[in-house]
Amino acid sequence: MRQPRKANEAAGTDVGSGSTAAGTTTATNSPSPTPRNRGVGMLIITAYGIFAVSSFARALYQILTDFDASPVSYTLSAFAAAVYIVATLALARVSPRAWRVALVAVLVELTGVLAVGLWTYLDPELFNEATVWSHFGQGYGFIPLLLPFIGLYWLMRHRTGPAAAAAVRDTQA
Amino acid sequence: MTVMFLIGTIVCGLSVLVCWTMTAVRDHPADSSIISLAAIELYLLAYGVYAGIRQFAGASVTGEAWEFWGYIVTALLLPVGVFIWAMIDKTRWSNLVMSFVGLVVFVMVYRLEEIWWGSAL
Repeated sequence: MRQPRKANEAAGTDVGSGSTAAGTTTATNSPSPTPRNRGVGMLIITAYGIFAVSSFARALYQILTDFDASPVSYTLSAFAAAVYIVATLALARVSPRAWRVALVAVLVELTGVLAVGLWTYLDPELFNEATVWSHFGQGYGFIPLLLPFIGLYWLMRHRTGPAAAAAVRDTQA
Repeated sequence: MTVMFLIGTIVCGLSVLVCWTMTAVRDHPADSSIISLAAIELYLLAYGVYAGIRQFAGASVTGEAWEFWGYIVTALLLPVGVFIWAMIDKTRWSNLVMSFVGLVVFVMVYRLEEIWWGSAL
C-alpha cells in the first residue's frame, strides 16, 4: 500500500520542479541512487541499533539496581542510550527532517564520547562506574569513538534538501 | 574456559566467516548466512536452557542473576531483530549486516561467562 503512494509523490514533485527548471531536476535527483538507509547505510544503522539496544539495557539495569552508587555515570548512561536511540531512528528514515535530527544526534554523540572520554581520564573519581563513553569507549572496543565519525561521513555523503542542492552546485562549479 | 564458551566462540566465529564470505560472493542474502544466524540462536537457546537447569537445581552465578538473564534475553532477540532488518533490503550488504550478530553475541557470551563464573577465560 505504501509503495505506490510514495511513487506518486515522487512523480508529483518531479512534474512540479520540472516546470521551473529542467536542469536542476536531473541534478538534484541524481547524486544518490541508493537511498541513505539502504546498502552500506544499513550496516551503519545496524551498528547504531546494536548500541541503542545494549546501552539502553545497560542503563536500565544500572538505574534500576543501584542508582545511588554512581548517579553521574548512570545518568550519563541513560543519556547516551537516548542519543543512540534517536540517532538510529533518524538514520533509518529518509525525510529531510530525519536527516537534520540524525545530524544533531550524531554531533551530540561525538561531543559526548569526546567529552566523557576526556573527562574520565582527567577526573576518574567522578565515574566510579563505567558508561559507554568512558575512556573513549574502551570497554566497547573504541567503536563508540569511531561510530559518530562514520555517521557524520554518511550524512555528509547523503545530504537532503537545500544542503544537497548546495553540494550539487559545488560539484558543478 | 568452559566447553559452552568454546562452542559459542566456534559458532559465532563460523557465522562471521560465512557472512563475510557471502558478502563477497553473493549479491543477495545467502541461505548459509541465514542458517548461521539460526545456529547462533540455537546455541543461545541451548546456553539458556543449560543455565536455567543449573540455576534451577540450586547452582548460583557469581554476578547478578537478573543481569545474567537480561543478557540472555537481549542476545536471543538479536539474531531475530538483525535478520528482520537485513531482509528489508535484499542486497549483498544483508550478509554483512548479519555478520554483526556473530561479533556481538560472542562479546555477550564472554560477558555471560564473566557473570556466571567470575571470569571468561
